[in-house]
Amino acid sequence: MATLNWRTINIDALDPDSPANFDLSSLTPAVAPVSTADVQSLAGQIRQLLRSGDNEGALQGALENVPYGADEKGKEVHLATVIEILQSIRQSDMSPILSRIYSAPGGTEALDVLMKYIYKGMGQTSASSTTRNITPQATGFSQIHSRGGGEGGGQAMSVLLSWHEKLVEIAGPGSIVRVMTDRRTV
Amino acid sequence: MAPPEVHHLFHHPIADHSFAADRQTLAVARENSIDLYQRSGSKFELKDELTGHDKTVTGVDIAPNSGKIVTCSQDRNAYVWEPSPEGWKPTLVLLRINRAATCVRWAPSETKFAVGSGARLVPVCYFEEEDNWWVSKHIKKPIRSTVTAVAWHPNSVLLAAGSTDGHARVLSSFIKGVDARPEPSAWGERLPFNTVCGEFLNNTAGWVHSVAFSPSGNALAFAAHDSTLTVVYPSGPEEPPRAVVSVSTQVLPFMSLVWSSESEIIAAGYNCEAYRLQGSEQGWQLAGSLESKGRPGVQDHREESALNMFKQMDLKGKVTDDTKLKTVHQNTVQTIRSFEESGSGVTKISSSGVDGRVVIWTL
Repeated sequence: MATLNWRTINIDALDPDSPANFDLSSLTPAVAPVSTADVQSLAGQIRQLLRSGDNEGALQGALENVPYGADEKGKEVHLATVIEILQSIRQSDMSPILSRIYSAPGGTEALDVLMKYIYKGMGQTSASSTTRNITPQATGFSQIHSRGGGEGGGQAMSVLLSWHEKLVEIAGPGSIVRVMTDRRTV
Repeated sequence: MAPPEVHHLFHHPIADHSFAADRQTLAVARENSIDLYQRSGSKFELKDELTGHDKTVTGVDIAPNSGKIVTCSQDRNAYVWEPSPEGWKPTLVLLRINRAATCVRWAPSETKFAVGSGARLVPVCYFEEEDNWWVSKHIKKPIRSTVTAVAWHPNSVLLAAGSTDGHARVLSSFIKGVDARPEPSAWGERLPFNTVCGEFLNNTAGWVHSVAFSPSGNALAFAAHDSTLTVVYPSGPEEPPRAVVSVSTQVLPFMSLVWSSESEIIAAGYNCEAYRLQGSEQGWQLAGSLESKGRPGVQDHREESALNMFKQMDLKGKVTDDTKLKTVHQNTVQTIRSFEESGSGVTKISSSGVDGRVVIWTL
């Protein structure tokens, strides 16, 4: 007994009232599980819409069928789909499309979802661009590459930033707060 | 609409404020003490200071009829202050919590009060005549996290608690010998202590900042950190609610809300201004701000002399001073309360915030 190190005992595990013993699922909204295959088939359908030129329909379809219950892989697939749609829409069409989605029933919810994907996309592009673009250069101007190159992280980021700007104009700072608060992640 | 009455008391955040029934005395929580202000003319003057708490005071509430003041603080204690000829006499209330107390409210009957706490429970305190002593009884289950807001139902038995676990709950705080048996309502018929009459979560499960029962007590509204306001209409005991209406707003989250009538809620928070929301079971919507445009004293564009303009350019690098918000409150509004009521509902509200202002608004 004397050798037992009391300070390393996890007392939370022994206390039935401790927050460490909560079932955390009771704190989050219920989401239905979605398989990666379903997400992929949805992505196929959306791409078809995109090919036929119905960008708005594709965006709406992608935002209405959010795979909250999917695993990391499935979520990644859907993120790629949404980013592809966002990149295929011209800058001048952004605001009209957003206002039409906003005024439709359930519009605020759809725009909140879009905001989540914009933030997630920003996180992704910066992560991938840092790994790709940090070349050992003594000058420290390694970032010039991605900006000047016109493809990769910088390009994707500028698309997302213009979407973000247009979206905040319509949905307000409230939608940003909802992205931070929402327990249903994309 | 009359312009709002602004009282800039000091340069400290006001965690909570409360007016006495005659609206001549104002109590505000300022750091570790409670300042009592007395109205003289159009101003409020500091009259008394209640000291005793040794950490930040988080809640203050004046009972309208008895005039007793209850306060709670991060030091995990609550005090009941009673007026006496020698000044205010504090009585310590042992809450038996191991985390900070976050908010406190008298029940409408004034025989008990509820305290929100970080200890995942709600102490309900009542006075025991025999022992001459305030006793606290804990509502524990099923609260999973800090309770940020409490609000009483008009029957003084049902209590709403909003928590950082994203739930707004309706709980029974019935105490034998203190409360009369409540009339059965849509929330429940038999209500022993700690009965859970409803547990509500909004879509995003954002943490709850404020809860309030409608004047009749037949609806519950709560505001959460996802900038939504949710109104729940119960249908009956043990049944799912008749309607749950959630409004996702474009503005920043609301910190406090008050029902001005059965169909109107005033809410204010991080946007530094109060908003009007109107609706019914069929739906709610944001109806606009209480701030009136073109209010005197705010957008005063003084005619600048050329010399002054260049002076400003030289000193600050810009001509106009844009450090002032266009709203009356210059920082987050923490608390709003009903100030004046008439037969049809609330006609005036008071608000206080991080900027040290107390403002009285005419609706």
